[in-house]
Amino acid sequence: MRETPLSNCEREFIRKALGERKRLDGRQAYDYRTLKIAFGYDRGCCRVDLGQTRVLAQVSCEITSPKQQRPSDGVLFVNVELSPMASPVFEVGRMSDQGVEINRILERCLKESRCVDTESLCIIAGEKVWQIRVDVHVMNHDGNLIDCSSIAAITALAHFRRPDVTVDGTDVIVHTIEEKDPLPLSVHHMPICVSFSFYEQGKFLLVDPSDKEEKVMDGKMVIGMNKHREICSLQVTGQMLLLKDQVLRCSNIAVVKVTEITEWIQKALENDRQARSNGERFGFREAVVMDTVTTNQMNPEKLK
Amino acid sequence: MVDHAGHVYLPGELICNLKESEKTSKILVGPGLRQDEESIIVTKCGLLRFKEPNFYWIDSHLKRYVAVKGDPIIGIVAAKAGDVFRLDIGSSDLATLSYLAFEGATKRNRPDVKVGDIVYAKCMVANKDMEPELVCIDSNGRSGGLGVIGRDGGFMFQTSLNLIRKLLSSDCILLKTLGNGMHYECAIGMNGRVWVKAKSVSHTIALCNAISAAEYMSNEQIKAMCKKLTNALAGF
Amino acid sequence: MCEMMCELGQLTRCDGDACLMQGETCVTTAVYGPTEVRINKEILDKATVEVVYKSKVGLPGCAEKMFERIIRNTCETMILTTAHPRSGINIIIQEMQNSGSYLACCINSACLALLDAGVSLKFLVAAVTCLIDNEGEIILDPNSKQEKDGKALLTFVFDNKDFSIVTVNTKGSYSSQQFKDCTSLCKKSSKQVFEFYKKSMEKLLSKDNFVK
Repeated sequence: MRETPLSNCEREFIRKALGERKRLDGRQAYDYRTLKIAFGYDRGCCRVDLGQTRVLAQVSCEITSPKQQRPSDGVLFVNVELSPMASPVFEVGRMSDQGVEINRILERCLKESRCVDTESLCIIAGEKVWQIRVDVHVMNHDGNLIDCSSIAAITALAHFRRPDVTVDGTDVIVHTIEEKDPLPLSVHHMPICVSFSFYEQGKFLLVDPSDKEEKVMDGKMVIGMNKHREICSLQVTGQMLLLKDQVLRCSNIAVVKVTEITEWIQKALENDRQARSNGERFGFREAVVMDTVTTNQMNPEKLK
Repeated sequence: MVDHAGHVYLPGELICNLKESEKTSKILVGPGLRQDEESIIVTKCGLLRFKEPNFYWIDSHLKRYVAVKGDPIIGIVAAKAGDVFRLDIGSSDLATLSYLAFEGATKRNRPDVKVGDIVYAKCMVANKDMEPELVCIDSNGRSGGLGVIGRDGGFMFQTSLNLIRKLLSSDCILLKTLGNGMHYECAIGMNGRVWVKAKSVSHTIALCNAISAAEYMSNEQIKAMCKKLTNALAGF
Repeated sequence: MCEMMCELGQLTRCDGDACLMQGETCVTTAVYGPTEVRINKEILDKATVEVVYKSKVGLPGCAEKMFERIIRNTCETMILTTAHPRSGINIIIQEMQNSGSYLACCINSACLALLDAGVSLKFLVAAVTCLIDNEGEIILDPNSKQEKDGKALLTFVFDNKDFSIVTVNTKGSYSSQQFKDCTSLCKKSSKQVFEFYKKSMEKLLSKDNFVK
């Protein structure tokens, strides 16, 4: 499908507004949009809203044989799907350039930073290991898909519980939830990507660009970092030259943002954990705000 | 009867006992209603509206525009092809706008329109089987405000179609109240696009946000919001 | 029947969307339309209805294609396709949570999303699931645990004009008398689903009344 083209009028206005250091939604240059995290009923299912951008992530596991080079390591597989729901431009099946870029950035950020301990996923070395699969579905595209997807992916990994296994010689017994409590994944640290968009040939930068701001930008930088100030990935794209102190300034901003976001994720995980252990209701239903015109609820009467 | 008006109807429901006009015993049905043999069936979900003497239609919440003859529209020039411009108007097809449909345009004197410009035009031909056709002149050959807009600033944004109808209805005081507080220019396209231009960038941004936020507001809430806005902007 | 909750109009890019929760099962559907369609899929006198179903985990396979086919057939009867020739209506369904009565939840959320988008419809549809368990008891809106142990799972889709059957999808074996009983029970239950649609749209449009 075709996307509405960005008119010259809009492009010039946004550039002029950025020249006066003003954003369309009234944010400051380094402000993130409102971040909302909701967990589903299943373990490892979470939905993240960054402003209007919405992303759903689900973690699942299955037993497979390990890679030949690493016989005692489990496998982590990340897949980001740009669903046609998110934008009329995205198509099913074919992975566009943007899709490939997001997939690679997230793979580098999560897999190669070793945030999940893959050695603990080994069941029988050389024969059976756990394969952890993270599926990220983008549901609404309003800019900054990378940040939103990385927050969703790492939150879902921290939320997930895998079944407990016992190894009896060469037999592997997978216990159901009723037999034994499932175990959390061993997550060493939480790498989160922070995106910066550049304007005026690299002189002015914005954090968390919205869709329209992304369309007029000169270039982009994505820094994947955890709260221990370790940079896990760094990627710069676009037609501009960046000065060294710009890059350093961005990494300092990223430190602040990542600390805030990690705290927010921990709080959300804690709330969900308490709701589950106190026997309260949990799931997407609890995240719905009821007193708006757009939501409705019905308790039907019994029929017979 | 007229009691039907103001109620929500869902597709598939039949409407009966409609008031006929006294002169010709006919009932005019508009968007959202369809005649199925002897009865009138609802095809879109919305409120039933009635206008004297015998006109019924459904007012529904829509975001996607379907071209209607006579509507003023804001289109974005997507391509130039031979003698016509192809404009994106938000419907399923690109609309066409001929080079000659501008004020003072002749074969030698082509209008200065580039790809990406926004154009305020009127829809001349619109039916479901053909591409919509637009013009930038009225029947006397004058432009009357139509043509390329936005060359000298301003911002265009997209809203839902019912907000547009609300803005243009005589009951709504939003545009007037905003005009009391600041000077601005605006062009409203029936395809959900609004172009506004105010004195400065911050005024324009504030205006855009005010119009978008007014979708679900009543007149009193609109008055309160405009007052807050003008007070905040006065401090700039 | 289980508790139903819906959230409409949450996504900004699409023309209409609905997030429907039936019990713990949750499905989000987005609708784009009438919009442009590829030339090889264009139909001269009708709109082309396309359904994309995305499950949460894994790549799409045969089961997903079967789902898309069932939902597409149901939606095609529902949509007034002659009103928009040579255009396309795209329905995208995303699984959020599958805890039983899944096909019915998908069809109901597609219907709500079409309502929210304002696509011209001939009538509305409501889908109800019922389960025949091993003792021959009929259970409405089973959850996934009940579905695993049951003998037959039937999904009925009714329209709101004459309450005739639009689609039936069954899994398992049952007698024709059981089929008739399930049909009448589901028909009664579908009336509640239509009530729910009406109340939801009335709430959504409740702020409009002052505009004449």
